[in-house]
Amino acid sequence: MTLPTTRDIAPGDITTIEELQDYLYRGMQLEHATIPVYLTALYSLHPETNADAWHILRVIAIEEMLHLTLAANVMNAVGGQPDLTKKGFVPTYPARLPDGETDFLVPLQPFSEDAVHTFLQIERPRKAPEPGKRIVARSRAHDPEVLQADQHLDHRPVIGPLLTVPGRPEEQFYSIGEFYEEIIHGVTYLEQEYRKQGKTLFTGDPSRQVTPEYYYSGGGEIVAVTDLESCVKALQLIAEQGEGLGGGIYDGEGELAHYYRFQQLKIGRFYLPPDEPDRPTGPPVTIDWAAVYPVKKNPRMRDYPQGSQLRAAAEEFNKEYAAFLGMLTRAYTGQPQLLLEAVWQMFHVRDGIVRLVRNPLPGRDGVNAGPTFEVDGATP
Amino acid sequence: MTEAAEHEEYDVVIAGAGVNGALIAKHLTHAGFRVLVLEAGPGSAWSLDGYSRHLDHFYAAASKGPESPWPPAVAAPQPDTADIRSGAGYFVQNGPDKYGSSYTRAQGGSTLHWLGVCLRMLPEDFELRSRFGVGHDWPLRYADLEPYYGRAEHEIGVAADVADQAHHGIEFPDGYDYPMRRIPLSFSDQVLADTIDGMRVTLEGESIALQVRSYPAGRNSVPRGAYRPVGAVDADVDRHDMITHLGERCAGNTSCTPICPIEAKYNAGKTLAQADRGKLRVLAQAVVSKVSVDPVSGMVDGIEYQRYADPASPRHTVHTARGRVYVLAAHAVENAKILLASGLGGGDSLIGKGLIDHPALYAWGLSPVPVGAYRGPLSTAGIEDLRGGAFRARHAAFRFDIGNDGWRATTGGPDSSVVDAVTNQGLYGTKLRAHLAATLPRHVRFSLAVEQLRSEANAVTIDPRHLDAMGNPRPVISYRIDDYTMGGMAAAAEAARQVFRQAGIADCTDPEAGGWFPSVRRDGEVFHYHGMGHFGGTHVMGHRAGESVVDTHQRSWEHRNLYVVGSGSFPTMGTSNPTLTMAALALRTAEHMTEALAARQPIRQGEPSGF
Repeated sequence: MTLPTTRDIAPGDITTIEELQDYLYRGMQLEHATIPVYLTALYSLHPETNADAWHILRVIAIEEMLHLTLAANVMNAVGGQPDLTKKGFVPTYPARLPDGETDFLVPLQPFSEDAVHTFLQIERPRKAPEPGKRIVARSRAHDPEVLQADQHLDHRPVIGPLLTVPGRPEEQFYSIGEFYEEIIHGVTYLEQEYRKQGKTLFTGDPSRQVTPEYYYSGGGEIVAVTDLESCVKALQLIAEQGEGLGGGIYDGEGELAHYYRFQQLKIGRFYLPPDEPDRPTGPPVTIDWAAVYPVKKNPRMRDYPQGSQLRAAAEEFNKEYAAFLGMLTRAYTGQPQLLLEAVWQMFHVRDGIVRLVRNPLPGRDGVNAGPTFEVDGATP
Repeated sequence: MTEAAEHEEYDVVIAGAGVNGALIAKHLTHAGFRVLVLEAGPGSAWSLDGYSRHLDHFYAAASKGPESPWPPAVAAPQPDTADIRSGAGYFVQNGPDKYGSSYTRAQGGSTLHWLGVCLRMLPEDFELRSRFGVGHDWPLRYADLEPYYGRAEHEIGVAADVADQAHHGIEFPDGYDYPMRRIPLSFSDQVLADTIDGMRVTLEGESIALQVRSYPAGRNSVPRGAYRPVGAVDADVDRHDMITHLGERCAGNTSCTPICPIEAKYNAGKTLAQADRGKLRVLAQAVVSKVSVDPVSGMVDGIEYQRYADPASPRHTVHTARGRVYVLAAHAVENAKILLASGLGGGDSLIGKGLIDHPALYAWGLSPVPVGAYRGPLSTAGIEDLRGGAFRARHAAFRFDIGNDGWRATTGGPDSSVVDAVTNQGLYGTKLRAHLAATLPRHVRFSLAVEQLRSEANAVTIDPRHLDAMGNPRPVISYRIDDYTMGGMAAAAEAARQVFRQAGIADCTDPEAGGWFPSVRRDGEVFHYHGMGHFGGTHVMGHRAGESVVDTHQRSWEHRNLYVVGSGSFPTMGTSNPTLTMAALALRTAEHMTEALAARQPIRQGEPSGF
């Protein structure tokens, strides 16, 4: 990715600031949507076991939190309003990724080979058929497995207006990287057009930027976004941490990209520099697939009997999680110091999940409870 | 067993991979010198897997004492705080008083279990004799150490705000600040500060105003400027990826002592990992047993060490490591023990003599309002106002540590509070819950650490009748708490009573609650004290050979290519936790060694060490 500087770039799919803000909202939705999935798998691991899987999931979950914060910084920089409390911000699982990838579903499930398969789909590297084209035909969505899963859904996955490429309902982004590439193109184009009018796209209040002072050791270096350069840097960091830089397995900071971190779990071996994709040469990854709590896949509140302690715990978790998203929204809209409190509040999130995943569901032999993340309507 | 290290030539051989050894190894390897570090204990804490096993060990331990995550190897036994209770253990307690402290013999040393308090010593602590007519003066002044304090704060990664720390004449250079912002004050600190700030206590007619003050902590916090916190380390570069984003900030876990679950607290393994690994060899499970001295030149010509493979067995092989320069960085007690076992002490020698600690009292009470006890780092603030002043001519100074951990250390709360409510008060069900909810959050604890002056009668000696499983001597500890320190204890206990009274905190201090703590008696008052792990004074530094063991560079007067480093070099310790000061001294020593080594040609094979 290089910034075109000498001649005009053509408009892409993003041609107005409103469209850009829609994309960025969807980006925040997307980054957040992975967190319940990764945390459910992480805390389904038996304590003191599966250290390799634990650390791989831990690192990626933390980096998703950075991505969420970076997306919020970009949103603020272009005068948008990050809002994690909007109805539908948290998807109903199993969900399709909010960037419009519709050929697979993302369930809440315990750590398993299936889960790793899903993680690899989430983090898959870009695969656009030709340069400059970041979307593929939606026909991929006719994957029989997905269609079958759709039939068994107890709800239809929400496909809102943001879940398709604007104006191209038959097409979709193939990867998160391509989604961000489109946004980078969009901000570059828009800033070019604004400058022609002697204006700038970056009119947001700088005091809303989350800076390293409030956000550090949380998945990499936070980038305060104030202009096109810092904006592109922030967006590239998100894309690279997910899928690697320039087709390699590492990002620009020399860290293994998410796709390849997860692939280590599938292949059973760690990557070592300067390994090539798909051929890790490091020490073996040790996994005990059995040392996992048998958490119900896609648990819903209605799985918990009325009046049961489990139901109360699940409700309390959803309320706390809703409150947590409210606090993050305040942190992203002018009170970045609240992120310091997020550190200990995340212990609450952990404890809430752990309380559920370690307890069996009554009458469901051998299946444990899990967090439902049904936060809409859950008020603290 | 073949030992590559035995056949290799090193510029520097260091005994001990704690904070001193690690700092010196880091700086000398970066200056281009080849360094061998011999560590008596296991090296397991230096890998993520190993560290995780120590964490599991801690979680599984019934008693969560400072040693609970760090079980010693048979070959490298260590004191345990429970020894005093059992009357057994590694130390041979020769009395008349018990020495209550412990340390960790493992790669990383006692920084594995420390709390992380990084106080600078007060300027007056260096000049006790000239200013107050008691104790000793250092051969260095605060101003001499000040630049090294600043460097040590960056090496360790200390979180504090200069604005809080300039008291009792402590000065910082213009524009200086700690590498990270202070750890946020706990709710407890804030509630107590509301009451205590500006409060006065009167000691022997002298009125002193108090203030709750954040203390500098070796725990990662919000970085300043370009500083980047150092999180967890893994010596195995193949698995380096696993420690990404781990421990780069304190998350408020409650077990700083004995183990930070995420390595947000400094341990010496972090410094050792920053050494030039191409110039460094670290041998764990290598117990230094003897320093060999050339009888003609008086120079050290080798260090004998015992290598063992199995931490559960004393089976070992004996080897000798050779370098141009040698450093004993094995701990104040172990340094003295090694020198004595090598026949280098005795008679008028001061080796082993002058052992000090901070014998500490507890004071605990029930606050009228909740302070949110049992949450966060074990402590985050203290009261520093009684660490210095004219009273030091009469009795010892002392420091208040303000606990966030309720009565954990004093009565075994909150567990013991539950037991008490059930068995003594007959509570159960909702009444029990209500009682606990109403009382546990109000638990307040002060720890009152009292200064101690060096006395030659307080000593580490060895005795051929008392050997460990490897045949190495166990430290024989002679220890007496003198009237000067007991005067400080009396003043500290009185100050705590005055604070409790003025703050409306019901004083629950019950000497019998810690009945197994050792005690001393003065004018009918009994003081139960515990050790702070602040060993010092056993190879004291000074201006002249006859009056000290090492010079201001911690270089042995008798053996000029030997450095004996650590808090054993301290002539006084004031009321500061010793780690920061010894780190500053170690950096000063490393600088000196670099110059001295560079000024001489490397020795050739077969020649006597020509440092």
